[in-house]
Order: sequence, then C-alpha cells, then structure tokens
Amino acid sequence: MQGLLLQMAEGTVVSMRIFVLTLLFSLPLGFVVAKGKMTRIKPIRWITDLYIQIMRGTPLILQLIFVYFAPFYIFGASYDRFTACIVAFVINYSAYFAEIYRSGLQSIDKGQHEAAKVLGFTRAYTFFHIILPQVIKRILPALGNEVITLVKDTALAQTIGVAELFRVAQTASSREFSTVPIFIAGIFYFVMNYIVSRLFAAGERKLGYYR
Amino acid sequence: MEEMIKLTGLRKSFGKNEILKDISFTLEKGRVLSIIGPSGSGKSTTLRIITQLERADDGTLEIAGRTLFSSIDGKAVYARPQEEREIGLKTGLVFQAFNLFPHFTVLRNITEAQRAVLRRSREEAEDKAIALLRKMGLEDKAREYPFQLSGGQQQRVSIARALALDPEVLFFDEPTSALDPELTREILRVIRELAEEKMTMVVVTHEMHFARLISDHAIFMDKGVIVEEGSPDELFGNPKEERTRKFIASFED
Repeated sequence: MQGLLLQMAEGTVVSMRIFVLTLLFSLPLGFVVAKGKMTRIKPIRWITDLYIQIMRGTPLILQLIFVYFAPFYIFGASYDRFTACIVAFVINYSAYFAEIYRSGLQSIDKGQHEAAKVLGFTRAYTFFHIILPQVIKRILPALGNEVITLVKDTALAQTIGVAELFRVAQTASSREFSTVPIFIAGIFYFVMNYIVSRLFAAGERKLGYYR
Repeated sequence: MEEMIKLTGLRKSFGKNEILKDISFTLEKGRVLSIIGPSGSGKSTTLRIITQLERADDGTLEIAGRTLFSSIDGKAVYARPQEEREIGLKTGLVFQAFNLFPHFTVLRNITEAQRAVLRRSREEAEDKAIALLRKMGLEDKAREYPFQLSGGQQQRVSIARALALDPEVLFFDEPTSALDPELTREILRVIRELAEEKMTMVVVTHEMHFARLISDHAIFMDKGVIVEEGSPDELFGNPKEERTRKFIASFED
C-alpha cells in the first residue's frame, strides 16, 4: 500500500508539472491570441480564428497524438514525450483562454477607454491600471472553470505515454486486479481541484469590493 | 478678449454619412457656450472632436492659442502626437454616463491622473482632490466606491476628476441626461458655480432654461450645421429661424 501511494505521489507530481507549465505558458499566450482575434488586420484575424476553431473543434487527445507523432512522420525526428505533451496542452489552452480574455475585454464599456484618453493616460497605463483589473474581475469565474478542467485533462497525457497520475493508477489497478488505485486517483484529482476552486473563490472575494 | 477656442470649417463623416458640415465658432476665455439641438445633430461629435475622442476630416482648431489641426488642401492635418497630448491636457470632458473608474475609490478617481499624467506628488494630488470634493459637497465620500454613490454624486465626482487636471476649458456632453430631475439640479448648481468663477465651458444640453441662465452664447445645431447662434436671450427668447423656434417650442410644456 505504501509503495502504491508513493508511485501515485510521483504520478501526481508529473500531473502537477503539466498543470503548472501549461498555465505558465498558455495564460500569457492566450492574451496574444486574443489580441490577434481582435486586430483590424484581416489576415491575422483569419489565421487566429482558424487556429481557435481547430483547437476547440478537435479532441485534445487527438491534438496530443498529432503534436507528438507529426514531427516524426514529417521530419523523421522524434522528441521528448513530456515536451510534446506541454506543447499540445499549451496550444490548446491558449485558444480557450484567448476566448475568455476576448469576452472580458469586449465587456468593458468603451466609456472607460474614453475617460482614460481624455484624462491623458497613455495606452499602456490605461490597459494595465484601468482596463485589466476590471477584465480580471469579470473573467475570473470563467477562468476558474477552465483551470479546473485542465487539472482533469492532464490525465490525457498518458495517451502519448507520459506517466502521470491516472496512468500510474491504471497500471497499478491492472497489476493488482483492483479498482482501489483508480479510486485513490479520483480523490487526488478532487483534492487538487478543491484547492483550485478555493483559490478562485478567494480571488473573487478579494475583487468583490466594487461593482 | 483672449480666444480659448477657435474652430473653423469643421467637417466629419462616418462612412457616407456626413455628420458635420462646416462648423465654425469661437469662444472667449471665461465664457460659457451652450449647444442645443436634436439628437443626431452633431453636437456630441463636435465635442468629441475637440476633446480628441474622434478625428476631424477637415477644418482648423485652435485651443488656447495652440493648433490641434489645420485645414490643408481640404483635409485636417493634426499636430505632432506630443503637441496633441499637451493640447488634450488643456481640455476636460464630462460624460453623460460619468464613466468613473469602478475599481478606484472616489479619491483615487480624482488623484490617479494627477499622479500618473501630471506627476504630482500623492500629497499634492490628494489635497487637490479633497478640496474639489469639498466644493462638490462630497468630502465624506472620498473613501467610497462609485457604485455606492447616487448618479448625481457620481457625476459630481467626474466633474471633480476633470477639474483636478486644471483644464483651461471644460466640456459637458449632456451631463444631466442620465439623471432624475432632482439629481439634475445638483449638477446644474455645480456648473453654475463654475460659470461664476469664470471657468471657460461648453455645455451640450437639453436643459433649455438652464442653458439660457448660465451661458454667454448659444448655438442651435441641426443635421450637422449651425442653424442659428446668438446671445441666449435672442436664441431662446426670440429665435429667428423656424427650425430653432420649433425645436425650442418642443421643450416647453
């Protein structure tokens, strides 16, 4: 039992690395994508739109397989599966975050931009001090949903052979002819997401001082 | 008399829709101009061009002796961006919808631009803000957030926010249209006080009696042209043009 828990803890660390690295890259990258979707330059908008459509319109599991195996078939070169897994998660989640950012940015009344302009704030100052804080408050619930989904989606990394929590649980389960490891994995995911959702709730409370 | 605003031959179209056709007027320092007219007449667009929220297509505009844009070969050519910014700081605008920053306290709404744009110290900015709040009768609201205030209070904060930057001319774009009659009076009182202090102002409004009371000069606009202008007594009391007469009559109950 102790050996099993140790293995599962190792799997959990892998899952958490996927989780953290994906957020680290896709949260800022999603912003770039959102800007691309909102630009007046049509070709950039079209390409960004197509990218978002593909990322949202095809299964993540398929994207994982594609990202890992496509370079091998095209260039004859293979690379580290963990890296492939991060790349796939990042490009997928950036698309979803981009749409959340866009909805937030577009929900801000244009009077806010106009008041800032008339008062002489620079564009950068307006964005970081006037617009962004309001956007964050509005998108926090949607962002929370997405981040919770990411915790569970890390289980898909096993498709390309990354030994994350669910893979470890499944292997242990078939080795010991028992569903207990699967059940324990469920508890692990639940605890992680409980923490994530508490963090988002705290964030929402912290920003609840204004309307 | 020193000229604060000198606007000549202003033109503006949105697509094929010509919003402003040859608008010209001047406003002397310390005077109050009111602009009236039906919606869609181009009043707001005129203010928005002077305060740089929209770009002119053609025309010449001087504010406090500095040229924001001038007509060259039938096109408005703008000053350098730095010059635009500096001229922009001479103008203040009060919006119909207040547009306060909801995530800032009342105090910070008034200090933020003083600190970030004019580089005033916190102490100086706060002293200025408190003095303005006192003038607006809102000194006890400094620590509150905009959503905790009534519409009339929010509009007074937004006037304080504009005044904090010491503009040379202040524009009001239908400042009472979003307010109940009761709250409207608070705002009109503030504007009248500013007029008594010789603040140069341009007020777009539907409050005819008020416009007549506070302004030194009045303009009636319709369909993108100035139909008639003159002293408030002339324009409101004895309009020459049929269109002006009809419009003013429509406001008398």
